[in-house]
Amino acid sequence: MLVHIIEKELRDIVGSAKFAVNFSIGTALILLSFYTGAQNHRIAQEQHEAALAANVRQYEGVTDWMRVQSFRIFLPPQPVAALVNGVSNDIGRTVEVRGRGELRSQDSRYGDDPIFAMFRFLDLDFIVTVILTLFAVLFGYDAVNGEKERGTLRLTFANAVPRTVFITGKCAGTFLGLAVPLIIPFLLGALLLPVFGVPMSGPDWTALALVTGAGLLTMGAYLLLSVWVSARTERSSTSFLVLLSVWIMTVIVLPRLSAAGADLFVSVPSMDEVNSQKSRFMSQLWNEDRTKMNGFTPANKGDVQEVMKEFNRYMQTLADDREKRFNEFAGRLNEERANRQMEHRRLTQYLSCLSPAALFTLAASELAGTSLRLEEEYLAQAREYQKEYARFMKEKTGTNTGGFAMVFRMVTDDNAEKPKPINIAEVPAFRFVPPAAEAGLPPFTIFSGTIALYALLSFAGAYRAFRTYDVR
Amino acid sequence: MSVHTMLEAVNLSKRYEDGALAVDDVSFSVRPGEIFAMLGGNGAGKTTTINIFLNFLEPTAGEARINGIAAHRAPLEAKRHVAFVSENVMLYPTFTAVQNLDYFARLGGKTQYTADDYRRVLLRVGLQEEAHHKKLKGFSKGMRQKCGIAIAILKDAPAILLDEPTSGLDPKSGFEFMQLLGSLRDEGKAVLMSTHDIFRAKETADTIGIMRQGRLVMQRSRAGLAGEDLERLYMEHMAGVHE
Repeated sequence: MLVHIIEKELRDIVGSAKFAVNFSIGTALILLSFYTGAQNHRIAQEQHEAALAANVRQYEGVTDWMRVQSFRIFLPPQPVAALVNGVSNDIGRTVEVRGRGELRSQDSRYGDDPIFAMFRFLDLDFIVTVILTLFAVLFGYDAVNGEKERGTLRLTFANAVPRTVFITGKCAGTFLGLAVPLIIPFLLGALLLPVFGVPMSGPDWTALALVTGAGLLTMGAYLLLSVWVSARTERSSTSFLVLLSVWIMTVIVLPRLSAAGADLFVSVPSMDEVNSQKSRFMSQLWNEDRTKMNGFTPANKGDVQEVMKEFNRYMQTLADDREKRFNEFAGRLNEERANRQMEHRRLTQYLSCLSPAALFTLAASELAGTSLRLEEEYLAQAREYQKEYARFMKEKTGTNTGGFAMVFRMVTDDNAEKPKPINIAEVPAFRFVPPAAEAGLPPFTIFSGTIALYALLSFAGAYRAFRTYDVR
Repeated sequence: MSVHTMLEAVNLSKRYEDGALAVDDVSFSVRPGEIFAMLGGNGAGKTTTINIFLNFLEPTAGEARINGIAAHRAPLEAKRHVAFVSENVMLYPTFTAVQNLDYFARLGGKTQYTADDYRRVLLRVGLQEEAHHKKLKGFSKGMRQKCGIAIAILKDAPAILLDEPTSGLDPKSGFEFMQLLGSLRDEGKAVLMSTHDIFRAKETADTIGIMRQGRLVMQRSRAGLAGEDLERLYMEHMAGVHE
């Protein structure tokens, strides 16, 4: 009997004009999101390659490694990130690495062109959280009370149909009726990726499949919630209004309010505030060092080269000491801010967990490697690279570049052989290793599990409500 | 309970939560091969009685039994023995007549029917063949009622409940419907029908009951009504003359 009810639901949904309209819109948007993702990835890849080339070109003709004060590294575009943008467009892609000092990312996609920040891109996160959840509400709001209004519920229960079987069939049939056809555009969209040259690896495909699964699960959660509300109300107009309010709250309002809500409990000092504290401290250190510089007395005043070498060594000592003290101070500030930020993020996540749509956003970005951890990961790898870069530059220049140094070059013989240009390709290459999909799997499982829990609770609610539903 | 009783109301009462007494100590029985017509005005308790038989409502007191099974105690078992046709048969509008029949036949536990079986039953209830594979959304009320009775026939239950089945039908359709009901009675079905249609009730029913304010104020067999003016009796009972 369960199979008959599921079959009926499938046939009823697929045969309806509502489905034809929604399926067409859904298919077009899903394919468009894959196409947009593939195109964005291609553009980002081209920009990345151009930036790498430009970075090398700027050192053409340079003959002294001392003139390489910094070296830019870039965050390469990731295939899945093109489909689940997360924060990938918000964080800076470029980091200017010096031999010492703090690292900051800059030149974000949205920073480059804020119009994209205003309207964002059409990605799978948007498709799931806005389009699919809305479909779920549109197909579920009259699942039970609509049958009552149409008069079919009475005829159905004139037969020996257990209510549990009916509500289970209703939920399963409606979900399958929506989810199975939607798998087609997802598969077609996935086929577009290699066609448009997106280099998807095995783990990328797995991540995409899991994200799609989580998307359908999210849609299922909203569908079951809709069936529940439908089984709690007599009229479909009432359930529609209730569900529309729930949808607006959970899809639009709650995710936006959660960070602001967390702000009420945990305040995170702004970067401006932290940076101005750092600047003040740095100024103080410089003032101290300027006083010390005034007291510099060379041991051998006769040899200018020796004086410069001694001066640079002296400056290096000051710089090292300054950097040590500054790093300690900045480290404290950063740690304090990071701790508060972590607490703020955790609270924001807890608050946003009230929304299955927000949970999907968190889950998908974790698996796509575009979660809040992306910037931390990028900067962590950049810091590791900075050490390698500093070692390399010390080998080349004999000093730790990045601080303040003076270079005096004395040309004594016009006929002397001109120095050869440096080979910038010798600089160690930065290779960003995207966070392994396995690293995103535990949070993805937790967030998806919570969505599943919402779905189960909604099913239990629908089941309980329908046990006593007046089918007349 | 007699072994020949298929539908039976035993001291059946239903009081709603707002205190309204919809059915008040009603007792009657319908044997196989018998049509019992319940007459009565709006709110007399006819539909409530049928709803109790279908376990859509629980009785406050008494029992509604189908084939000896109390509907509110073993509803699934009881419903296996009964088919139902409502006042306004509403089926799935995106399904064809045959698809609707197939779905409800399967719900009724009949999975062995073939396309030919559906064709024959639809022809039997008078639905023209060209409509069999059309979607229900274009069907008139009469055509939907025919589908409803076809579903009841396909269930092949020994008892049939009809809630004002001819209401809103044109005279020809109403006549055909009643003829069909007569043939079902001849097949041995026990039929309980609520209706406002005194004329058709007199023509078809074996037993007529009149309900007023939840009570069964009159119950007579066709023989017992011989020579009586049913319309006058009905009006008198509605006016409370016999109380």
